[in-house]
Amino acid sequence: MGIFRKMKSIFHDDWCNKCQSQMDERMRKLYMLPMTVGHYTSHKNADYYKNNLVKVNRKADIPVGTYACGAIMYECPNCGNRAVKLSIFLPVRDIEKYEDAIYFENGELDEFLFKLD
Amino acid sequence: MEEEKIKKINVAYLLGYIFIPILICAICFAISAVYFPKGNMAVILILGPSFMSFAWWILGGRFIYKQKQKKLQNELQQSEFDSNQTFYSDSSMIIVDENHGKIAILFFWNPFKSYVLPASRITKTWVDDGRGGAGILEGSSRVSFLFEIDGIKIRVNTFTSNQRWRMDSDYILTGISKADLMVNVLETARSKDKR
Repeated sequence: MGIFRKMKSIFHDDWCNKCQSQMDERMRKLYMLPMTVGHYTSHKNADYYKNNLVKVNRKADIPVGTYACGAIMYECPNCGNRAVKLSIFLPVRDIEKYEDAIYFENGELDEFLFKLD
Repeated sequence: MEEEKIKKINVAYLLGYIFIPILICAICFAISAVYFPKGNMAVILILGPSFMSFAWWILGGRFIYKQKQKKLQNELQQSEFDSNQTFYSDSSMIIVDENHGKIAILFFWNPFKSYVLPASRITKTWVDDGRGGAGILEGSSRVSFLFEIDGIKIRVNTFTSNQRWRMDSDYILTGISKADLMVNVLETARSKDKR
């Protein structure tokens, strides 16, 4: 994970990139990413996630050694801008080992997240 | 083959691996001392076998092990064995066929003998996270998964280090996850073979 993206994910991943105000959390979902431990490859293309994410209800539904992806959709109360943050992590027993944080700020995943809702 | 007892170490290979280069060096040194005490030939007889011995100790075993790994994988590909999960470690290679409930094993110190066994011969599987120390010193330098076949314990390391890492470090968590995954796969194969 790049240092700037890491800082952004720690400090203000919920700030609007247009008006800089704090965005509201609109939706939160959990997916399984079909990649096993030791074989993680970072993907920046939204199409990859649209084609490969598998919706799960609980973390316990994800097979051992398989990556999970938490999707959070933010919406700005001032300007209506939406952003999606994907947190990719490896669930290891009770701990989550964070691998990557990917942002889609131009609505690339909005339809995908709403469709499965 | 399926009833065969597992041998993790081929003692003859291990001793030969260590002592044959020493023996060759000793013979060359003796020839040099008796017939070529000086000159180019003496240098060749002393340095040549010495360098070759070191190269053999460092690379020879790995080369043989890699070749045998490839050979076993090719053999399995041509048979009815579905390689669902393969785990490579420095000491052994484990290939699991979850569909047919089989397991293939190749050991570093016994590379000329590979084992393809029914997974039902596995009697126990578990993960050793290597947790040690207390308080802020708590951590681990080795994570492995283990299984027992006919009472023989086979340990496969998923992470090793010369220093101790915190239990929540990325290295340890990755090692635990790999070990958990392999135990899961072995158990699935075992339950499949029992049916």
